[in-house]
Amino acid sequence: MSYELVAGLETHIELSTNTKIFCQCTTAFGGEPNTHCCPICMGMPGTLPKLNKKVVEYAVKAGIAVNCKIRNISKMDRKNYVYPDLPKAYQISQFDKPICYEGYIKLSSGKSIDINRIHIEEDAGKLIHERGGTYIDYNRGGVPLIEIVTEPDFRSIDEVLEYLEKLRLIMKYIGVSDVKMQEGSLRCDVNISVRKKGEEKLGIRTEIKNMNSLNFIAKAMEYEFERHVDILESGGKIEQETRRYDSELNITESMRGKEDADDYRYFRDPDLVNINVSEEEINRLKDELPQLPDEKMHVFMNVYGIPKDDAELLIKYKKIAEYFEEASKDIKNKKLASNYILGQIFRRLPTDWEKEECGISIPPEYLSELISLIESKKITSSMASTALEKMLDSGKSVREFISENDMQGIDDDVLKEICMRAVSENQEAVKSYLGGKEKAFSSIIGYIMKETKGKADPQKAAEIVKEIIN
Amino acid sequence: MSKIKYLKSLLETKEISCVELTKKYLNSIEKQNNIINAYVNVTVEEAIKTAKKVDEKIAAGEKLMPLEGIPMSRKDNISTKNIETTCCSKMLQGYYPIYDATVWKILQDQNSVLLGKTNMDEFAMGSSCESSIYGATLNPHNTDYVAGGSSGGAAASVKGNMAAFGLGSDTGGSIRQPASFCGLVGFKPTYGTVSRYGVVAYASSLDQVGPITNSVEDAAIVYDCLSLFDPKDATSIGSKISTVDKLNSSIKGLKIGIAEEYFEGINEDIKSSIDEAIKAYEDAGAQIIHFQMPKLHAVLPVYFIISCAEASSNLGRFDGIRYGYKTDSYKDIEEMICKNRSEGFGKEVQRRMLLGTYVLSSGYYDAYYKKAQNLRYSIIQDFKKIFESCDVILTPSVPVTAFKKGEALIDPIATYMMDICTVPVNIAGLPAISVPCGFDRNKMPIGMQLIGNSFEDYKVLNAAYQYEKQTKNIGETSSYPEVEI
Amino acid sequence: MIKKDEVLKMAKLAKLSVDENEIEQLIEDMSKIIEYADSINNVAETVDVEFDNINNIVNAFNEDIVLDSYDRDEILKNREGGENGYFVIRKSIRG
Repeated sequence: MSYELVAGLETHIELSTNTKIFCQCTTAFGGEPNTHCCPICMGMPGTLPKLNKKVVEYAVKAGIAVNCKIRNISKMDRKNYVYPDLPKAYQISQFDKPICYEGYIKLSSGKSIDINRIHIEEDAGKLIHERGGTYIDYNRGGVPLIEIVTEPDFRSIDEVLEYLEKLRLIMKYIGVSDVKMQEGSLRCDVNISVRKKGEEKLGIRTEIKNMNSLNFIAKAMEYEFERHVDILESGGKIEQETRRYDSELNITESMRGKEDADDYRYFRDPDLVNINVSEEEINRLKDELPQLPDEKMHVFMNVYGIPKDDAELLIKYKKIAEYFEEASKDIKNKKLASNYILGQIFRRLPTDWEKEECGISIPPEYLSELISLIESKKITSSMASTALEKMLDSGKSVREFISENDMQGIDDDVLKEICMRAVSENQEAVKSYLGGKEKAFSSIIGYIMKETKGKADPQKAAEIVKEIIN
Repeated sequence: MSKIKYLKSLLETKEISCVELTKKYLNSIEKQNNIINAYVNVTVEEAIKTAKKVDEKIAAGEKLMPLEGIPMSRKDNISTKNIETTCCSKMLQGYYPIYDATVWKILQDQNSVLLGKTNMDEFAMGSSCESSIYGATLNPHNTDYVAGGSSGGAAASVKGNMAAFGLGSDTGGSIRQPASFCGLVGFKPTYGTVSRYGVVAYASSLDQVGPITNSVEDAAIVYDCLSLFDPKDATSIGSKISTVDKLNSSIKGLKIGIAEEYFEGINEDIKSSIDEAIKAYEDAGAQIIHFQMPKLHAVLPVYFIISCAEASSNLGRFDGIRYGYKTDSYKDIEEMICKNRSEGFGKEVQRRMLLGTYVLSSGYYDAYYKKAQNLRYSIIQDFKKIFESCDVILTPSVPVTAFKKGEALIDPIATYMMDICTVPVNIAGLPAISVPCGFDRNKMPIGMQLIGNSFEDYKVLNAAYQYEKQTKNIGETSSYPEVEI
Repeated sequence: MIKKDEVLKMAKLAKLSVDENEIEQLIEDMSKIIEYADSINNVAETVDVEFDNINNIVNAFNEDIVLDSYDRDEILKNREGGENGYFVIRKSIRG
């Protein structure tokens, strides 16, 4: 392929504040149409907006989390256009002084995706087009959004997907949004252009809208890339326009009608006042941020010794990561905690949603206790696995299932005696093993485990048995 | 003197009940309104209901609040819940707000008796009420002439003894000009001291609500009640100073600024009236200070650009989808919206919206809107400097007296130039009052304007009050026919 | 002098329709007014300033506390209750 893909992203994130951006209606998702409205978010004549403080705090936090500079003085502007879902015929947004600017997200390849700006704005209502007419629900009107705009730094679809996963995770970690694409709290528009490999000049770009999953974003980009290439190869010219992705037909189509390069006639909204964020305020908000995913990855991998893939899986779900940290706080072998979580525990949380919600039936202290017992050799790992299943079933601690007695472990002499007995009782197996059949050995160990009710340490037993045989 | 206090004393001494008082006003309205056309909506039920409440309070021996039981009128751009609020435009005929403007809430809490909503230029854009769908409002002083605009109805209601006080709104002179034309007191407060929440916006950075009254003391009483901080209005500050308490402060040594530029081209009668007023002040011990305002003529285009720009944006919401005028046929949504707006708005409003769109559009924004804002800032600095050496500024309110009905100037520029004295006040967000100071050769009232520094509303009212006391130039009522209150 | 297509463009942005027979007068009026507005360019000095609230108010905020929304009936009041709780625009209506 002699063509290179160049893309930039505009991501809208719905902030999870309790109230809308300029009034005190609820932002709760769902709800009967037009039941979360008031004269202000309906833009009724004479009403005035007033900015929700939390929106500013969340926007600043989002900016800090992606390494942005925070503007000490910013303002709100009116973006004027007429559309039925926009009650005031202008969207209050930020034009030339966005609250955050010049940030970046680093991809795993080490490449930096530069973020040009993050600004605050309000969402519009929802239009439903039916045969007879258009139905409008203004519940969503006035819900606060931040828009994150990148530079055209993407060179592949994978980079885009990775960026979005990372962005999503960061926003989830700092708690400013639910970032659920299927619910619309994360929306992404892609600006895409192509150019011959080695070219410096950017090609003409088109904007793709209406992709509500990562899968659709990938498909839409693939289609659009091909479409651009086809046009250029045939000597044509790309038209700069906005296109809508159709997930059923897997194509993009021109959104003629919403074009005409609307002149938005931006000007400072005279009903609102400037937003001053002091350095102290910025530092205070920075201190409130939890440890971010990348940092956690670093700690999990380099300090706890968790392999990369495992660490990624733990990090992927904020509550799981926190559970893991809590459970592995007082134990040495943190990888063990990780294994149990990613193994037995995850098996009980088959869906993403269940993992997100971290519906583990035992508190992290119980897991921690279990592992301590392994570490102090009071129980064996197979005892632990069995116990864990029972713990997860019942929500009770390990001590309910393994008594003090059982935790004594096996006396060395007792173990030796049992091993000798095992060898003498399993002469067939011994013969097979000496004859080359490795598998026969495990049946001997199996006998020992049965005799000791799982309490024996299989490795130790194996050593003794080998000694006896040889 | 103070009509409000006078009426209050009648109520408190039970010389007249509130219901009777209200009925007298309603009667006055009934007799005159079809000629004067001050009211577009007379709220009889609401008025009587409130009056009854007040009478109960009086009977129970309770003390009355400052504006309790006082019959008043309100400009029809101030939202009243469940009472039609039209801005005198076809666009909002039949529109019933579902909430109250803060200024109305304040008065409602005081049981002020709302007699009705008054006539105005459509969406407050105009100076004669002639752009109202209900037609012009005549001047009760002489019904050959108009009452002015855009708060013409409010002024006429007070002048014609059809209300004890009226609330109007002022974006470029809309309270002061009709007050001047009718020979009344009209006060535009410092921007931000009276809430704008619920007032249908014309130009957000210029609009303010204020009283039109017979006397300065009444204006002060109303202003003190209305100047509360409103958490619903992000631009609201309110005022903690009681202007009523400061009315009697001595004006000896008061520094009054006069700038020649305000007097350019005004007619002789007005000039001599103002000169007399200046003399009266000097006699009272005030000091006259001359200053210059070279940028005065630039203020008008600055005002024009900013107000049209903001208006074009504020009026975008009227698309007929959630409320307002709906056309009866269209082929698609785009056409529907265009027709709703083109049929719902009058010509002047449409023209200002187009101009506002133009000055904000890309390619023109820098040359017009941005330049206007920069100039605005510098005019504000100029005023700040002037107020370092003056307490108040004295100017004519309007370069002319009321014009005859139908004779409003056709040339738009000449019309806008009539606002030359009032507009700088809105541009700088200052407080200003118009007080009657004489009559011209046709016996039409002349108004004098006093402008103060931001948040020095009390100084303006004080200076006006002392003038009134000294010269006894009170805003008399004249009703047609005579109605005794 | 403002050009006709500029006036039409403004009309489109402002969602106003201009009658053919009115457009000439409109162009004339608008041109006069814009010419008048141009006079601000005669004023020599201007400082390039970001215009604030006139009283320099900053940080006027609401707290993030939910208040009851309005009843749907009220919201839809000026549109006769809407349809099934929605505002509705018919695709087209024949006169």
